[in-house]
Amino acid sequence: MPQDNKPKDDRITTPHVLVIIPAFNEQKSIADVLLKLRAAAPAFDRLVVNDGSYDQTAQVVQALGEKQLRLATNLGYGVALQTGMKYALQQSYEIVVCLDADGQHRPEDVPAVVQALLDKDADMVIGSRYCDGRPYNAPIDRRIGQLFFSHLTRLLVGQRIYDTSSGFKALRSATCKNLIRMTFVDFHVEMIVRLVMLGEKIIEYPIVVYERSAGHSMYSFASIFSYPLKTLVLTLVTAIDVLLARRSQ
Amino acid sequence: MTTQGVILIDLMALGFLLLILNLVRKHDLVIGYALLWMVSVIGLMALVTFTPLQDFATKAVGAVYPASALSLLAFVFIFIVLIYFSVQLSVMSSRQIELIQAIAILELKLQEKANLTQEKARTPDSAQY
Repeated sequence: MPQDNKPKDDRITTPHVLVIIPAFNEQKSIADVLLKLRAAAPAFDRLVVNDGSYDQTAQVVQALGEKQLRLATNLGYGVALQTGMKYALQQSYEIVVCLDADGQHRPEDVPAVVQALLDKDADMVIGSRYCDGRPYNAPIDRRIGQLFFSHLTRLLVGQRIYDTSSGFKALRSATCKNLIRMTFVDFHVEMIVRLVMLGEKIIEYPIVVYERSAGHSMYSFASIFSYPLKTLVLTLVTAIDVLLARRSQ
Repeated sequence: MTTQGVILIDLMALGFLLLILNLVRKHDLVIGYALLWMVSVIGLMALVTFTPLQDFATKAVGAVYPASALSLLAFVFIFIVLIYFSVQLSVMSSRQIELIQAIAILELKLQEKANLTQEKARTPDSAQY
């Protein structure tokens, strides 16, 4: 368990790592996340993808002298991540880390997650709240969704992913290439299923997740109904797409 | 259908045709979509005006009354057009997303280049001392 706050990135010297932080109206939490990340992983580059924020997020990031991609309008979490990945590929980064801007994830865990990617020779590591037998302790609606999608991954690809909706991930740039042309809502189950079916090695690494420190969740009341449906349809379409591609090959 | 009804529908269809042509003239409608609507309106006029064509369509769709056949064909047409426009909207949305992404990446690269140039400009001065 990555409980200690000591930066561990001194072990990781070779790979060129970019931490992508999609942010939409996160003026209250983004500075804290960036400062902690700077301290925890000074060797890693940081990139805020400002997803059309209309608060002071852009100014806060600029004042800290951090890189930011400014999307002209709000395109959603998945597209913001995808933009960061496109930039990472163009700039020849070897490893990409996705981290939420709301302060839910500990930036101190970033080096450990990257190290797990290298040590286990994985293609993607998911920072997981529920692996290692930890209970699903979210509100009931989310718990049902998490359990459902967790079992769906096992049904479709034979590997159970305990935390399919985690926003904390580390992945290799070669894996990003498989993702940037796709439509993904939130880079959750639909992409996990796709990657596993393409033969990518995905593992989970236990992390601690806090309640968001400020701002509002990107999930509205309506998304309680729309998110599972959209994700389910996209997941099934993805699975069929990969199967058809395999057949044609 | 009575002659009065046929004339009324044909007049309305002609009005639609004129409206479509005017929209093209004012560059409010691209020719691809205009053709789709013009062909549909002309098809409707032909179906309403020529009785043998109406009878053929009624038999072809297995309807008893021509009005039912026309309603069914109209429903199918509207359904196809709606799907077509949903596809067009999705394509446009994807293109828009790609453009916004490209602009954002270009802006950042330009900024990085400008910062680098500024740094380079500063370096020789400081190296002298």
